[in-house]
Amino acid sequence: MEREDRKRGLTRRKLLVNGARGSAALALSPLLIPDSAFGRTVARTASGKIKKGGTLTFARSVAPTQLDPANSIVQGDVYTLDKIFEPLYITSPAGDLLPWLATGYTTSANYKTWTFHLRPGVRFNDGTPLTADDVVWSINRAATDKEGPLSFLDSAIKKISASGTNAVVFTLAEAWAPFLSDISVFANAIMPKNFGGKTEKAFFASPVGTGPFMLPSWTADSDLTLKPNPHYWQPGKPYVDEVKITYVDSDNQRVLQLTGGQVDIIDTVPPANVASLKARSGIQVFEFGSWAVDLLIMNEQLPQFKDVHVRQAISYAIDRKALVDATSFGTAKPGGSFFPPSLQYYDPNTPYLAYDVSSAKQALAKSKYPKGFATKVLVDSGNETYVEFAQIIQAQLGKINIDVSINRLDHAAFESTFQKYDFDMFIDGATNDISDPDEMASFNLDYVDGGSKSFWSSYDNPALIKLIHEAEVEPSSAKRGQLYAEIQKIAAQDVPFVPLDYPPNIYATSDNVHGFAVNPGGAYRLEDVWVS
Amino acid sequence: MLVIVGVAVAAFVLLHIVPGDPARAVLGLHATNASVAMLRRQWGLNASLPTQFWHFISSLVQGRLGSSYFYHQSVGSLIGQRIGQTAALVAMASVLAVVIAVPLAALAAARHDRFADHAVRAVGVVGLGMPSFWIGIVLIEVFAVHIRLLPVGGWGTSLWGHFESLLLPGLTAALAIVPILVRSLRVGMLEVLESDFVAAARAKGIGEVRVLFVHVARNALIPTISLLGLNIAFLVGSTVIVEQVFALNGLGSLLLDSITNRDYPVVQGITVVLAVAVVLINLGTDLISARLDPRIRLR
Repeated sequence: MEREDRKRGLTRRKLLVNGARGSAALALSPLLIPDSAFGRTVARTASGKIKKGGTLTFARSVAPTQLDPANSIVQGDVYTLDKIFEPLYITSPAGDLLPWLATGYTTSANYKTWTFHLRPGVRFNDGTPLTADDVVWSINRAATDKEGPLSFLDSAIKKISASGTNAVVFTLAEAWAPFLSDISVFANAIMPKNFGGKTEKAFFASPVGTGPFMLPSWTADSDLTLKPNPHYWQPGKPYVDEVKITYVDSDNQRVLQLTGGQVDIIDTVPPANVASLKARSGIQVFEFGSWAVDLLIMNEQLPQFKDVHVRQAISYAIDRKALVDATSFGTAKPGGSFFPPSLQYYDPNTPYLAYDVSSAKQALAKSKYPKGFATKVLVDSGNETYVEFAQIIQAQLGKINIDVSINRLDHAAFESTFQKYDFDMFIDGATNDISDPDEMASFNLDYVDGGSKSFWSSYDNPALIKLIHEAEVEPSSAKRGQLYAEIQKIAAQDVPFVPLDYPPNIYATSDNVHGFAVNPGGAYRLEDVWVS
Repeated sequence: MLVIVGVAVAAFVLLHIVPGDPARAVLGLHATNASVAMLRRQWGLNASLPTQFWHFISSLVQGRLGSSYFYHQSVGSLIGQRIGQTAALVAMASVLAVVIAVPLAALAAARHDRFADHAVRAVGVVGLGMPSFWIGIVLIEVFAVHIRLLPVGGWGTSLWGHFESLLLPGLTAALAIVPILVRSLRVGMLEVLESDFVAAARAKGIGEVRVLFVHVARNALIPTISLLGLNIAFLVGSTVIVEQVFALNGLGSLLLDSITNRDYPVVQGITVVLAVAVVLINLGTDLISARLDPRIRLR
């Protein structure tokens, strides 16, 4: 997802425990996963006193520009269309995969054939029933869309076919362990086959999905009102009569609209405002654990960063705790492994090269640059946190005679510059879009097939790439855990990039909002939210 | 016409010389080079810059602004959706600027070199030094968060809601030009106050208030109107910041988003529309001045 969305976690430890539990259930076993609903825990905590009706007003930092699941990647689009369209499985706030439009699945003994059983009684918001043909058509469309930003997640699928009206059979090219996670991505959400006979343009102007809300009409890049889907499959939901989503670009304005009582929920709360908002009566602040990690990436196309001792020296020289304390106002956690703690198979014991100036000096002494060198760090000038990171890193690397100058470019220029490998070092965030860590492992470390030459670092380690491929087809969850622990360890020792911190997804609401929760991917479901 | 063409050329050139790729921005970090190249070809971005420029200018002459890369609709309809908020903001700011500036200037002129005069001028100098975004935030804190009299931001849903929502942003934008208007209006009024016909009016026994508002103000109005015209052009520019501070999703915020996304057709379209607006406003002020001042009446 885009790097603007930074929000995060109440109880990171709890998330981890739940995540581990979820992953155990997730192992590729040929059993039917029992039905469980996303909102169940929410409904229980509020048992008996849920108030129905009312309007929820939500000020968000990005407005939607389009609602095609297969073609969306920015948060304004994604977090609007996911209220209208739903996939077969979803990721819960705890990071677990939950059966959604499917009630469960079975797999063949070789894990290459997966049969999903559709939930009975699901209807689209125009009243027509959901069928296997709709699922086949929608996922085929997402998988074959060359411009689809996440179509690569479907690359394991060889064939999709309907088995009767209530089951869908996926034939995979190999026993693909992340498959259930891949299926849960918003890009694989289900639409009526052939857009229900409408043209694509007409369909997305008034979209038809199975989700809790519908959008009778809307205009790109402006405010919109979600109305309840009268045919929604979860009885009694959504609780609110309507959700008004307004587009408020300015961080300051969003915070003021919340404190001024004009809106009920705001997204992307700046870390600097968290303490003052928490101190205010009538406001609650949520920090949800995210699948995001901020990285300092080094360009191995340059001789100084090709030298592993230089990269290790830089890892030793950066005081992540000082960095986080100075910039995140107590919201982010200092970095270690390149997997964020809320990601499946995160290893908290990853032996990373933590801050130690004397080790940094020793490592540099072993390199071809014992006296240090001059270099540059590229940052997005619009991201205040990253600019501060750059300043602190400049000071910290100065202590081992690495003389850093800062190159600030605006967002678009920044992106096209690092994508042309025209940098010494740059700072950016990496995010997983699904609960399975394969996406992040391949994208960040698979020089050959990952798509970004190891997050533009050009780090190429064939032994590590082999481990990543092994983990992709390993059926046992325990063995995958070991493989990912090894992958995290090698990355921590070889340092293609320094994981700086794990930023949370921060939201704030007024006290009268109940049942609001965000998953580590940054998605939130609003059918469980009610207003008192 | 020359101004508009100049602005169009400058917008095109500046936009294309800064690095950044709209296709990458649309497709995300996972995009393959092949899909990026495909989208660039679809948008005509693989052509040489002079070819792209020729395409842009020839469409512009035919009144076509092209289609947005991001919003999947024509630039014309995007601007149509947004221009109302920006126009309303500029109108509100102009009205408030005049309503505030004229009495202050009259006060300062009438109390020439006395306390009120110095106070008005001193406040004006301080006011000029305060940035719009800061004034905006202070106004929000006071009127919207503490006494909750007006909305914090946004555009409202009813006609009254729109009006209410425009008061604080209008005031913020107006305050940026009030000091300039007051200064020139005050000097104009002082000159007129010393002229013979005012002495004659006073000699006839006409009251001071009537002298000031009927005889003096009308004559001091002409330079003020040309000045207001020039400053409306400035106001149009400052709406970019004011819209941001007050979450008014007008042309200014669309312009900022489109620059960030490198949505070339939208940026070019808005720039041209704003240039046309400024030219029209200047033309309008000239016509009004001609109306008010018989000496520059058009033949």
